[in-house]
Amino acid sequence: MPILFGITLLTFTLFNVAGGDPAVQFAGKNASAVQIEQIRHELGLDRPLYQQYFFYLKQIVSLDFGRSWSSRQQISTLIVDGVGASLSVSVPPFFISVALCIVLAMFSAFFRGRLFDRSIMVGCLGLMSISYLVYIMVFQYLLGYKMGLFPISGWDASWVDRWPYLILPWICIVVVSLGANVLLYRAVFMEEIFQDYVRTAKAKGLNTRIIYLKHILKNAMIPIITVVVIQMPYLYTGSLLVENFFGIPGIGGLLVQALANADFPVIKAMVFIGSVLYMVFSLLSDLLYALVDPRVQLK
Amino acid sequence: MIGGDRNSLWWDAYRRVVKNRLAVASFIVIMIYGLLALLASFELILPQVHLVDHARGYEPPSWEHPLGTDIFGRDVLSRAVYGIKTAMMVGLVATLISILFGVTLGAVAGYFGGKIDEMVVWLYTTIDSVPFILLVPALAFVMERGIKSLVIAMGVTSWVGLCRLIRGEFLKHRQKDYVLAAEALGASHLRRIFRHILPNVFYIILIQFSLGFVFAIKSEVILSYLGLGAEPGTPSWGLMIDDAKLELARGVWWGLAAATLFMFFLILSFNLFNDALRDALDPKLKNK
Amino acid sequence: MKTMKTTIGRGSLRRSLFFCVGFITLTLVAVACTKEKSEEENTLNLVISSNVKGLDPIDVSDVYSSRVTSQIFEGLLSYHYLKRPLEIIPQLAASMPTVSADGLVHTFKLKKGVKFQDDPCFPEGKGREITSNDFVYSWRRLADPRNRSEGFWVFDGHIKGLNEWRTAVGEGKADYSTPIEGLQTPDSETLIIKLTHPYFQLHYVLAMVVTAVVPKEAVEKYDKEILNHPVGTGPFRLESWVRNNKIVLVKNPSWTGQTYPTEGEPDDRAQGLLEDAGKPLPFADKVVMTELVEDQPRWLNFLKGNFDYAGIPKDNFDQAISGGALSEELKQKGMRLHVAQYPDLTYVAFNMEDPVLGKNKTLRKALSMATNTQISIEKFYNNRAIPAHSPVPPGIDGYDKDFVNPYQKYDLVKAKELMKEAGFPEGKGLPEFTFETTNSATARQVAEYFKQEMAALGVQIRIGVNTWPEFTTKVKEKRAQIWGIAWNADYPDSQNFYQLLYGKNVSPGPNGSNYVNKEFDELYEKALRLPMGQERTAIYKKMRAIVVEEAPWIFGVHRLGYVPSFHWLKNFKPHPIINDDVKYYRVDTKEKAKLKAKL
Repeated sequence: MPILFGITLLTFTLFNVAGGDPAVQFAGKNASAVQIEQIRHELGLDRPLYQQYFFYLKQIVSLDFGRSWSSRQQISTLIVDGVGASLSVSVPPFFISVALCIVLAMFSAFFRGRLFDRSIMVGCLGLMSISYLVYIMVFQYLLGYKMGLFPISGWDASWVDRWPYLILPWICIVVVSLGANVLLYRAVFMEEIFQDYVRTAKAKGLNTRIIYLKHILKNAMIPIITVVVIQMPYLYTGSLLVENFFGIPGIGGLLVQALANADFPVIKAMVFIGSVLYMVFSLLSDLLYALVDPRVQLK
Repeated sequence: MIGGDRNSLWWDAYRRVVKNRLAVASFIVIMIYGLLALLASFELILPQVHLVDHARGYEPPSWEHPLGTDIFGRDVLSRAVYGIKTAMMVGLVATLISILFGVTLGAVAGYFGGKIDEMVVWLYTTIDSVPFILLVPALAFVMERGIKSLVIAMGVTSWVGLCRLIRGEFLKHRQKDYVLAAEALGASHLRRIFRHILPNVFYIILIQFSLGFVFAIKSEVILSYLGLGAEPGTPSWGLMIDDAKLELARGVWWGLAAATLFMFFLILSFNLFNDALRDALDPKLKNK
Repeated sequence: MKTMKTTIGRGSLRRSLFFCVGFITLTLVAVACTKEKSEEENTLNLVISSNVKGLDPIDVSDVYSSRVTSQIFEGLLSYHYLKRPLEIIPQLAASMPTVSADGLVHTFKLKKGVKFQDDPCFPEGKGREITSNDFVYSWRRLADPRNRSEGFWVFDGHIKGLNEWRTAVGEGKADYSTPIEGLQTPDSETLIIKLTHPYFQLHYVLAMVVTAVVPKEAVEKYDKEILNHPVGTGPFRLESWVRNNKIVLVKNPSWTGQTYPTEGEPDDRAQGLLEDAGKPLPFADKVVMTELVEDQPRWLNFLKGNFDYAGIPKDNFDQAISGGALSEELKQKGMRLHVAQYPDLTYVAFNMEDPVLGKNKTLRKALSMATNTQISIEKFYNNRAIPAHSPVPPGIDGYDKDFVNPYQKYDLVKAKELMKEAGFPEGKGLPEFTFETTNSATARQVAEYFKQEMAALGVQIRIGVNTWPEFTTKVKEKRAQIWGIAWNADYPDSQNFYQLLYGKNVSPGPNGSNYVNKEFDELYEKALRLPMGQERTAIYKKMRAIVVEEAPWIFGVHRLGYVPSFHWLKNFKPHPIINDDVKYYRVDTKEKAKLKAKL
């Protein structure tokens, strides 16, 4: 709760005290001073700051964020409509990436120090050294346009017709997240490999394959799952770059627009939802951790 | 003695890093980049960097311009080299600010605990739960626009991870014998924090430094895309890549290639070096 | 790191690796084989380069929303599609209005039998006939302060009693039943507009989509959600809209009676623009408008034939155009090129309230002479613009192609002399100025170029990069020093450009330069009371001389639009002002199938 308070205060100060004057913005190019004053009044910007803050708190409590200043669309509708698109772009590659990375990381740890491990490591570090923007632009140009493997961009409201458009964005996201994840998981595996129980199992003459697949994998999954859960709330904003380049009507694009238009109500709503998700998932991650590891005590 | 222990840890780490040829190579590459950045800061090399020739915009690579020219006919190679200066500046300053915040707050919170700890935890949880991509533009709004405020904004928003780690370590260390012994000998709080505990957690800062560096350089590209990058005219990889989004479809690939390549080798070296450093310093992986 | 010896257990790992690779390959193969959607009959595929906000005509303030709403809604008047110079024609009015001798009373007769589109807001879902009261209602909405429409300026201060009603509504002292003196409806087909003073731009603003007619039933049913439920009288109606993705419009079956124009410019027949003369409109059954903000995917999709036409992003110009004509590569793809003169002006504005810039016109002239418009035209407009010597662009009354503004010329030597004269030899004694710009890649490059030019003169420039709201706020709060901006005409009348320097329009009004000159203002007010014609043009000439001499702006360019389209798109002629021209477009489906197969 105090954190929620902090978040509301932070977003309110940042976006109400800073930024341009939205009334001027929404009055348009031919507006007169009188019209701007009227708009300021309609938006409630002429009220004292503490009243505006309480109004914001009230909106949060009632979960009614009002309408966007810029497009005048209902913010809840904007977000609900966008979340589906964002999630269908961000969730599948997230899990594909997690699965792929676990496999790669395990192999890497298994062959540690060998050529395979080293090339995986250097490859991952290499992947991590190129900007996201470059991947998107180059993949779209080469795979989409030059080679014609995928549609250049696009979207469909129906789930069935949607997926051809999604593959290329997915590939971009998987490639971008691959490097860091493999390295992280590999470190987790490395830690497990040298645990006493592995030594014991080996001493007992257990098959290496079984040790890897049953014991090490199982134990390594604990830290991996906690990390994965912590990353989940970020999925809701999708990926702003991917969405803009591939014409996907998600939250990321909405956010860019809101920032560009000084659309405070939208920004405030999104920050708030993002923060709440973040807190929920942190709690979930703690719970999970406690569940699998009885040594951890919850406060 | 604690000191002796510490020295052997660093000596040991040094030996491990030196043995890793890849790490040594990366270190050399980083040093070369650093040297180039230094030379560029004093405009000692590639004087043609600001030379404008409107008649020769967008020329493909040639002997005269190994990586072609940009819209104003400037040499892309020298722009990319001067971009190192911007990247290094962004990386260095943002990371130093973030370390300053992270270490101070983390140390204070972990060492004193209680109310102070709660305050710090509240602060960083709040900041952490606001998406980075929203927080930086918002802070940049507040300040005068430009690379300086961008760097500050990145610095003051990216200290949370480090703070959390340092706090955890301090929580562990403050109960350890050597700290209690120092207390018994009458060492002040400050002395205990800086003289006794901090050196023991220094390896975390070192690792976070090179991670933060990479993060800052990569963020500059994304923030340039959002229009929050360096002042126009400054040689910067972020701006070069952002320009490329207009150029690529027309077949002008050299601007993108130059910025990407220069960034690639710097970040790769940092990543490789950091990896070796972590292997060498992380006590958990020791002796294995 | 040491390696541990392992002897067994590779098999299973290898198998799972195979599984992984197999999975990925399968996905790729599946993607490669996805069905191409069958070519829909008679569908227009257009692209919009920004996100559409809403579809309520009184809220339309950008070309993107206007592009969509203009197909769904109609106003009293419109423009002839083909004729140049532009000509106003009746749309929902049966004919052009009768105007009283003093120019204050405009009487409109409505076209008979025009119906609103079918919509659930009407009884039994059947659209009813429009009446003159619907216009009065629609314009009250425009004036209602609670709707905070950006478009109110079109009537602001012009119609008797409307501003008073607006104020009274704002204070809660009036409602939609309170009569307005200047808007009268003696019967359901007659609409009388009474003006407070002669307003010669009235007919232009009645062709703008903000003044289009909206049914009361829809507003009452959908309330604030009306922006997603457009109900108009136009040739198309909304079928579906996936926000930030695409808008699908379909032919409105109850829309009848309009035919393709039979006259145009001399060249139009040769261009094939009159082949459909006299045929009933609209030609397309369906219009798909895709919203795509990034240049790269927009252009690549166009090259693949996914859109019928597209504007050329600045940097794809070389690929598209060679020597003023379409490049061979695009010709091969089956494209042709359209050139449109846009009634616009770009300029660099000085804040006349700045203590240094505002007080020294010799300094401003020096800066003006140090800017090389020719290079800007090459770099940023790919030679598709002409230097601006006065505020008025070609195609607008009073444009004088022979007029030469002496300070438009690039002459660094002369500029340096002027600097000396101004008291700042080699720029000594001048503070660093801030040039404000927005954060797009192109705006950034333009700013960078300005900085280079000023440096040659010894003037130090700092570039301030802003988001669009920050930029407008700085200008409107008089905090900007120097900035670059463009003005697009709302209607083809030079008044729309001279108002940018009128003393009563200073910030937050459209006169961002805060330029105030008594003589200029008196002339402007005199011109306002005159219809378009020689007498007025003579006055504007005097005003032009004042502006040139005082140099509150550095004049930039008037831009040309270069728009490539595919041969299958017929009757396509970019219009400089209106957006309701989709009804004239026709897709030759056979030709499309043939050409697209080759792409």
